[in-house]
Amino acid sequence: MSPLDRSGKQEADLNSLTMGNTIRLEDLVDRNMLHEVVRSFSALFGISMRIFSADGLLLTDCYEQQGLCKVINQIPDGRAACNTTVGEVKRVNPKPDGQEVHACFTGAHYQVASLSYDGRTIGKMVLGPYLPAELREVPAELATTVPSLDPAKAADLLPKFPRARAEIIRQIIDHMRSVLDLILFSGHKALLTSQMHLASVRESYRELQDKNARLQEAYDKLKELDKLKSNFIATVSHELRTPLTSIIGYSEMLSEGIAGDLAADQKEFVVTIREKGEQLLGLIMSLLDLSKLESGTSSLQKAELMVAEVLGDVVSNLKPVARKKSVDLVVGDVDPRATKIHADPTKLRQVLLNLADNALKFTPDEGKIVLSAAVVADENAADDEDGVGFSLLSPAKSYVEIRVADSGIGIPASERDKVFEAFYQVDSSSTREYGGTGLGLAIVKRLVEAHDGKVRIEDNTPCGTVVVVAIPVQASATP
Amino acid sequence: MQLDFTSRELTIKLVYYGPALSGKTTNLQSLHRFADDQARGRLMTLETRDDRTLFFDLLPLRFKGEGDLSLRLKLFTVPGQVIHASTRRLVLQGADGIAFIGDSQIAETQNNASAFLDLKENLKANGLQMREIPLVIQFNKRDLPNVRTDEELAQLAARGREPVFSAVATQGQGVLETFMALLHLTWASLDAVHDLRSKFKIDPKAFLNEVLAGMHSTATIDEMLNRSLGGNFEARRKEQPG
Repeated sequence: MSPLDRSGKQEADLNSLTMGNTIRLEDLVDRNMLHEVVRSFSALFGISMRIFSADGLLLTDCYEQQGLCKVINQIPDGRAACNTTVGEVKRVNPKPDGQEVHACFTGAHYQVASLSYDGRTIGKMVLGPYLPAELREVPAELATTVPSLDPAKAADLLPKFPRARAEIIRQIIDHMRSVLDLILFSGHKALLTSQMHLASVRESYRELQDKNARLQEAYDKLKELDKLKSNFIATVSHELRTPLTSIIGYSEMLSEGIAGDLAADQKEFVVTIREKGEQLLGLIMSLLDLSKLESGTSSLQKAELMVAEVLGDVVSNLKPVARKKSVDLVVGDVDPRATKIHADPTKLRQVLLNLADNALKFTPDEGKIVLSAAVVADENAADDEDGVGFSLLSPAKSYVEIRVADSGIGIPASERDKVFEAFYQVDSSSTREYGGTGLGLAIVKRLVEAHDGKVRIEDNTPCGTVVVVAIPVQASATP
Repeated sequence: MQLDFTSRELTIKLVYYGPALSGKTTNLQSLHRFADDQARGRLMTLETRDDRTLFFDLLPLRFKGEGDLSLRLKLFTVPGQVIHASTRRLVLQGADGIAFIGDSQIAETQNNASAFLDLKENLKANGLQMREIPLVIQFNKRDLPNVRTDEELAQLAARGREPVFSAVATQGQGVLETFMALLHLTWASLDAVHDLRSKFKIDPKAFLNEVLAGMHSTATIDEMLNRSLGGNFEARRKEQPG
């Protein structure tokens, strides 16, 4: 009456195993081994032995036909009588822990003993035929049952039966029983242990599954929250942009004198309003970009790009600003192998513009900024640090490295990872000096990672910074 | 519980629960020593190398009642160590009655309470409520120093619902009392649900006295139950809806 059947059959099995009446001799012993044991018993005492299961199934049979039996079985009468005796012996079912003697017409005996486990009969063993120690003469019954048997032959063959005292037979049976008991108990214990082990593992697995489900639920909830956050930022940024564009537009009209001439002071103030407005707009646009990247709504539109063209485009875009600062902004060496790249043109241009713009911002007048490109093999392509599989993996994974090198103030090694975090600047005072939102590099990092690429910072000689953007040549299968 | 009408056989599962090292296995070993050869099966221990119970111990006992009724008891212990939680839950499945073996040492008070709450949890996981299952509590190791006093135990027992016994399982004291009280309570609870009395036509008291005789005890069941420190022997069962 298990009140619970959560995981069905196996638990019922365990229950019936521990509670039950299902112990079967044939399940617990190995038949071949049982045969070995019985054979050694038979060999030791010279008496045949058979073991039956509770259902009467013959499990093992160590039977050696006696000379007299052989002769009797050649005579039709004898064969019939022998079969009857054997049938009777098979039907003898002693009580649990009991034994019975069944006599054969030859004067030989069969000893039938029940085998029990935990108070239940699980089988029986049959010992014999053997000759009781006290039998000295050929019984009369033999002559009446098989009249055609030669009495002289019978008298000659009968003593060749193994002979045993009842006492010895009982001892043999007790010994065999205790051997079987050991086997059964050990077998039962092993069976229970393994069943229990399985059940425990299943139970632990079920617990883990439960826990996993709860974790997954929590994870899904967090992901949902994160999405909500990104959506919120996107919406708010968008809503901020609309009135801001009006502010910029009207202040521009004011500064251009469309609503009438302004005094010098007034004009200066209006220009400041417009400039600050544009700064704010830039910040909002960056926030919008970042939230798009984080929410994963901005998907890449990859195409074949000519690297040299992209670099030239970026340089010509920023040339006017560079010229104003007298900074030399040029395209340097472009590896001839790095001609083409598979990337999103707009996004890659944004990355390089951001980087070049940054470089310009932090490079003093008369400085130099060089954009270059090269093909490199992935040093970490192998499966582990021992370089296993390097020869196979490396050629398949090479990168186009685009380097933006400036001669600016440089970034200390300890800060190089942090600059890619949103709103981070090495020195908070630099915001005032150099401007910027602190979002540029965060956007760069996310865009590059969206291309399965990497971005890192190196030293430039003698001074300045190199930002290295590595985009894999083999574009990942999924865009 | 398993009922077999054709062979007039009733199998009842009793579980010995409790914190680690409280003497659950010792209780079973003690009962095994008490029991008559005819009544006891082999005590099977599924243990680890350091003699701690890994899965469970199992002591099968069998008694013959009047009219050829055969009662089979399967006594289980659970592994007390905290890590074997899932095994405890498995062993508890289908239990008809529970003996909670507590450790009398004052230092073990918290462990007793934790194990009891664990029992409650595991019963719940098996779809059972504490108040529905026959339960007997034993305070073991009364011979050790720094144990809770008899007066304290008697006071606590008087306030609780379930019978409480004190024991020194290593010396066999209180072991039989705990067992008989649990059997009595379990029988009463099963009888209330399954009407065993009329199905098997037996007198429960006479039957329990026979079990006692099979455990080589000269005491009567009433004498045994009277050694309880408190609690009552009212049958436990699921409240029937309506």
